[in-house]
Amino acid sequence: MNKRKFFLKMITSSLMRRRSRMLVALLAIAVGATILSGLVTIYYDVPRQMGAQFRNYGANMIFVSSSGDAEFTPEAAERAVAGIDASELVGYAPYRYETVLIHEQPLVAAGTDLAGAKATSPYWYIDGAWPAADGEMLVGNERAELLGLSVGDTVTVIYSTEQDEADEAGVTAEASLDMKVCGILETGGSEEEYIYLSMEDMERLTGNEGKLDLAELSISAPGEKLQSYAERISEAVPEISARLIKRVTESESTVLTKLQALVLLVTIVVLLLTMICVATTMTAVVTERRKEIGLRKALGASDREIIGEFMGEGLLLGGIGGLIGAGLGFAFAQMVSVNVFSSSISFQFWLIPVTILVSVAVTGLACLMPVRSATEVDPALVLKGE
Amino acid sequence: MSLLELNNISKIYGDLKALDNVSLKVDTGEWVAIMGPSGSGKSTLMNIIGCMDKPTSGEVILDGKDIAKESAKNLTAIRRDKIGLIFQQFHLVNYLTAVENVMVSQYYHSIPDEKEALEALARVGLAERARHLPSQLSGGEQQRVCIARALINYPEIVLADEPTGNLDEANENIVLDIFKQLHREGTTLIVVTHDPEVGEVAQRTITLEHGKILRDAKNPGFE
Ligand SMILES: Nc1ncnc2c1ncn2[C@@H]1O[C@H](COP(=O)(O)OP(=O)(O)OP(=O)(O)O)[C@@H](O)[C@H]1O
Ligand SMILES: [Mg+2]
Repeated sequence: MNKRKFFLKMITSSLMRRRSRMLVALLAIAVGATILSGLVTIYYDVPRQMGAQFRNYGANMIFVSSSGDAEFTPEAAERAVAGIDASELVGYAPYRYETVLIHEQPLVAAGTDLAGAKATSPYWYIDGAWPAADGEMLVGNERAELLGLSVGDTVTVIYSTEQDEADEAGVTAEASLDMKVCGILETGGSEEEYIYLSMEDMERLTGNEGKLDLAELSISAPGEKLQSYAERISEAVPEISARLIKRVTESESTVLTKLQALVLLVTIVVLLLTMICVATTMTAVVTERRKEIGLRKALGASDREIIGEFMGEGLLLGGIGGLIGAGLGFAFAQMVSVNVFSSSISFQFWLIPVTILVSVAVTGLACLMPVRSATEVDPALVLKGE
Repeated sequence: MSLLELNNISKIYGDLKALDNVSLKVDTGEWVAIMGPSGSGKSTLMNIIGCMDKPTSGEVILDGKDIAKESAKNLTAIRRDKIGLIFQQFHLVNYLTAVENVMVSQYYHSIPDEKEALEALARVGLAERARHLPSQLSGGEQQRVCIARALINYPEIVLADEPTGNLDEANENIVLDIFKQLHREGTTLIVVTHDPEVGEVAQRTITLEHGKILRDAKNPGFE
């Protein structure tokens, strides 16, 4: 048997045959490693998870015309949208606004891609149903009250060319469309004053096509990436100016930064606690084994050999604890993710070696002081009575 | 030239002279018993001979070299190479088997050799118990493991502090028989004991009192 084999034999026997004591240390390391790998997994997954959550709060980018009040074409908007990674694009809703009359009252009608509006504004609450067929529209809650409309009513929407234009011609060009109220829209915002209809109905009513006033986008990407998208789009499609909705994007990144800082802080605290627990256990182990250390020294062990043996035990524990922790940590992160974000987490394979390495390093650090004190044991101890 | 020579060594703790100007010589192959009342300095003397402590003053010449002023690190090396230790409390590593305990000594000295360790256990009559943990062995058996461990690296001096202090009559006789055998083979033995019977079987008895040598005499009964 060579020296290394016997060394391993000694440290494994020590761990195996003195289980109860070592189990405490192992437990501490495993728990520490679990929380470490779990929190790091969450740390890396939080932007993705939270990003998805944040998209519930609505659009974070808009397209407007780059030339003041003027409109832009749907084609330009399509080209701009094509520049965004499909996997990140949660929703895209083009809008065209026109003034129309219902019961003689002027109001704003918005033509949009209703599915897109639903995706970009998931917080919209509809009393009734989303329009499913031609001739159906949503009416803002406030507007519905003013007009005395409720779900199921059919009203005539009138579109007339602008007043002064009409006067010149001597006639007022008028178009009308009978629309059914399929849902009342509640948002708590200015949307409640509008009516929403599909782009097709809008074009049928107004007659003119190919104009957009605004487009709203909901993109699941971090702030810097959004910024770079906005810049790229504004450059590639000169007609369009892409702007971030700062209120949304900034609060998103603030929340993320704070959350990540919190996770980091907790991780550090947990590692410190693990270290203290391991250090305490190792100190107890060294005290408990003073006689054995004295004996080993009496048999001719050098300080370096004593350090090697205790460190060996500590690091072996660290490695085993780290391995256990890496596995449990993923389960922990998965559990947190499912319960908090209700989505599963992506497994980071690189976290296994990193968790083990960190556990070994933390254990090693924790063992430094106790192991140093082991070398101070006097071999003459073995000749003293009990 | 003697194997071990102590010249005027003293060990002083505060104002207590645990050893007071002690001089003695031990030749290769001698079997010496050190006796004396409790507190007379026997263990202190053993520590100095066993390179686990240094005298406050005086020379300790082992194998022609003064080791009294060596560093702790060098003393460890000298102890490892030249001294075999037997303890009253056996001091076996409790999580290692009998044969592994013997191998620990080989491990620090050179390389562990299981076959040799088993042979050493066979010599003290423990071939059958080699794979047992200390907790599974009787006191006498544990002491024999301790003896096998002390002998495994062929030390120049075997030091035993109260080797029979924790043993019954029967086991004491087994240990003494092993000592006799070792003496016949030429091993140098220094045994500290309270027990007159253990003292008498040695070749020479040194009696300490208050840190001084009271008597140093050949044993008439030695065969
Ligand atoms: N480290 C120490 N510090 C202070 N005094 C000590 C120390 N070691 C031993 N002594 C004292 O030195 C004297 C000799 O002690 P020693 O252990 O050599 O006695 P001993 O002959 O072995 O006794 P026993 O038969 O009880 O084992 C004692 O009075 C003891 O109290
Ligand atoms: Mg003593």
